[in-house]
Amino acid sequence: MKKILSIISFIFLISSDSLALIEVDITRGNLDPLPIAVSPLHVDIKSEDFKGLKIKDLGMNISEIIEKNFRSTGLFNPLKKEAFVQKPDIAHLKPRFEDWRLIKAQALVTGKLLIKDEKLKVEFRLWDLTAAQEMTALAFTTTPSNWRRVAHIISDKIYERLTGEDGYFDTRIIYVAESGPKNERVKKLAIMDQDGFNTKYLTLGNELVLTPRFNPTNQMVTYMSYFRNMPRVYLLDIETGTQEVVGNFPGMTFAPRFSPDGKKIIMSFAKDGNSDIFTMDLETRVVERITEHSSIDTSPSFSPDGKFIAFNSDRSGLQQIYVMRSDGSNVKRITFGKGIYGTPVWSPRGDLIAFTKMHKGRFYIGVMRTDGKGERLLTENYYQEAPSWSPNGRVLVFYRETKAGEKGEGFSAKLWSIDITGYNERKLSTKTDASDPSWSSLLSK
Amino acid sequence: MTLKTNLKNIVLVIFTTLILSACSTAKKSGDIDGDVYTGKETVEYLASGVPDRVFFATNKSSLTTSSRATLRKQATFLRKNKNLNVTIEGHADERGTREYNLALGERRANAARDYLMTYGISGKRISVISYGKEKPVNPKSSPISWSQNRRSVTVKVN
Amino acid sequence: MIRSLVYSLTFHTVMIILTVLSLPFMLREPIDLPPIVSVELIQISDKTNIPYAPKARKIIEETKKKEERIVSEQAPPAAKAKEKPDRIPLPNELKEEKKIVKKKQNPEEIKPQIRQSSEFEKKEIVDTSQIAALIDKAKEVEAVKKKESDKITQSSKKNSFATGLTLSEEDALRAQIFGCWSVPLGLPYDQDLLVRIKLNLKKDGTIMKSEILDHERMNRPGQKFYKVLAESALRAVRLCQPLKVPPTGYDKWKNIQLNFNPTEMLKG
Repeated sequence: MKKILSIISFIFLISSDSLALIEVDITRGNLDPLPIAVSPLHVDIKSEDFKGLKIKDLGMNISEIIEKNFRSTGLFNPLKKEAFVQKPDIAHLKPRFEDWRLIKAQALVTGKLLIKDEKLKVEFRLWDLTAAQEMTALAFTTTPSNWRRVAHIISDKIYERLTGEDGYFDTRIIYVAESGPKNERVKKLAIMDQDGFNTKYLTLGNELVLTPRFNPTNQMVTYMSYFRNMPRVYLLDIETGTQEVVGNFPGMTFAPRFSPDGKKIIMSFAKDGNSDIFTMDLETRVVERITEHSSIDTSPSFSPDGKFIAFNSDRSGLQQIYVMRSDGSNVKRITFGKGIYGTPVWSPRGDLIAFTKMHKGRFYIGVMRTDGKGERLLTENYYQEAPSWSPNGRVLVFYRETKAGEKGEGFSAKLWSIDITGYNERKLSTKTDASDPSWSSLLSK
Repeated sequence: MTLKTNLKNIVLVIFTTLILSACSTAKKSGDIDGDVYTGKETVEYLASGVPDRVFFATNKSSLTTSSRATLRKQATFLRKNKNLNVTIEGHADERGTREYNLALGERRANAARDYLMTYGISGKRISVISYGKEKPVNPKSSPISWSQNRRSVTVKVN
Repeated sequence: MIRSLVYSLTFHTVMIILTVLSLPFMLREPIDLPPIVSVELIQISDKTNIPYAPKARKIIEETKKKEERIVSEQAPPAAKAKEKPDRIPLPNELKEEKKIVKKKQNPEEIKPQIRQSSEFEKKEIVDTSQIAALIDKAKEVEAVKKKESDKITQSSKKNSFATGLTLSEEDALRAQIFGCWSVPLGLPYDQDLLVRIKLNLKKDGTIMKSEILDHERMNRPGQKFYKVLAESALRAVRLCQPLKVPPTGYDKWKNIQLNFNPTEMLKG
């Protein structure tokens, strides 16, 4: 009754406010990527030389990185520069909006840069061309060798302004670089910028290394190594290169991940053929048992609030995904679909769990809600697994292997990414074959 | 007993054997029984007549009859060579997630170890390591090579 | 014979070198990763909405100096961060990062207010208290509408008694705007995505005034997507003008409300 009254009063208000106001519902639009023009950044003529940098090209290079980032999202359509109508410096002062609208751009990025006293100064503006307004503008100062990161940070700021979500360009991906024949693979830890540049190797390849994962501040990595033929979980400080075994377990430890506060490592420990989940506090070194079951419990992943843990277990006979409280209580199976499920990873937003599914000889990467409902399979292939979330929870990176022939020929392992919408599947560029990716959080946050 | 009934019985026996073997050949294709590799192609020997490895079904770590026979031979061999220690390597095929496969390899190696121990070999002489899907013996992507890769291998340490 | 000797020799040297090199388990030396960029966030927009003069650099310098003051005016800074713009030695990086975060928060908090005034200051601001009171009810009305639309084709019913546009006139207008509206991708499906825009039109269909009815929602926390959505709707209207309006009956359609809602499309 109350409802009806309020609705009636609402209608009354509307009609008294504006008599017979015409209302038209717009329920459709186009889902084409937003056309955006990224003008080359103007290079200030007063710029001084800096070793190893082609300053003249820097403005163009930064704009091209931004364009590449945008194109990779599938949400933007960076327009061809040949059609650009204004010089970078003039456009940056005040664009002739009509002219830019002519080439069908809806947004415009302009900027300029100056290198002076060994410092790179970059500023950029984002313009809404239809409203003829500036949407955002920022300036940065940094060391010139950081120019690629500047391009990524600018991309993040624009992405954030145009989509309402955080960006994910100023990030790195740690992964396992692979080389050699399939039955004698050499594996090294490698780290690269999200766009495939600045690859650095963190181990030499003398021993097998697997499943590296970042901590929340991106300074530390936990991974598994077969150093001295003892498969154990290790901790590596990226800046100093120091590494150490995590815990003194009398057997194999594997499948490590950090807790969301970075203080603990959660992992599996295998003893007498049985794998259970444990945590170790990095400061106090206190080890805590989380699961105790005669089945295989592995691939644990914390929820972002640290209150829950998702993992996979074959306690029902085949591998399925379970969720429990972080103390190990209240274990609930959440996957009941056909096929077997593994590698659950909680999204940074906390609302979804990404997973690998195997069914009838095919492998899928998918997402589901944390209660297991609303399963959406994003991609299907011969073999793929190990999804890792972009920091804004919009994109998953995973690795995919191809079929091998008689002698292992035709085999490859590559990193791929896909939006959680299931669109925009892309192969990441890596210098070598690659597997086990882990996406960092935003470096500049 | 006449010759006739005898003949009748023989025919019956032959007939039933045929039916039974038809049943089992339906499951058998080449060197795979069910899902378990039964061939000799990748097998090496700890000593003459002592195979070094046993094979498993997909996602399983249970020992088959022929696996048990192989392990009994290994046990006999180890009893004869009292100073010899071994490592049992557990492996999985490439058709599973990496982390689960590590656990599965561990479980398979331990299944073999437990069996050796029931035949009197001290657990101290047998260490265990799992390689998951990391060290396939046959790199091909085919059911046969996967079955060859689902294995536990007993390796001499000293 | 010599060949195999050479082979053996090279092999052994390689092995020795490898062993020597690989003795340390890991690369011990610090890995040379580019340092964290120290970010100076300068809100150029709030200073220079006016056409940008060639002395821009000076202005930026000034802005930079004023930045701290601005920040403290708008929201008392949690920490008075004085950063060196240079790259700083690695061990300090963490601390530096934290500083940046703190500092950054302030401009970010201010941003919505600034944005709002720059985009909407010239527009008549609706009586927000009234709107706020209506927001919840609007949802209920929406629900009722949806039920209706199950029975009768979307929105044509409303048209038949409430407005002065004929069906074909309304369809023409709608089709025109469909074409102009780039729906932002990545919207949350489970949220209310209705954006109501009120337009005052000239006789030729160009826009005199446009106004987002629920615009205060744009600055609510967790509703960033709504701002993006509302902006996309505004862009669509502006891109489309002059709107396809009937040649007659100006008084009936000079004020018109467009209800943008991509929910159906995103789900479908």
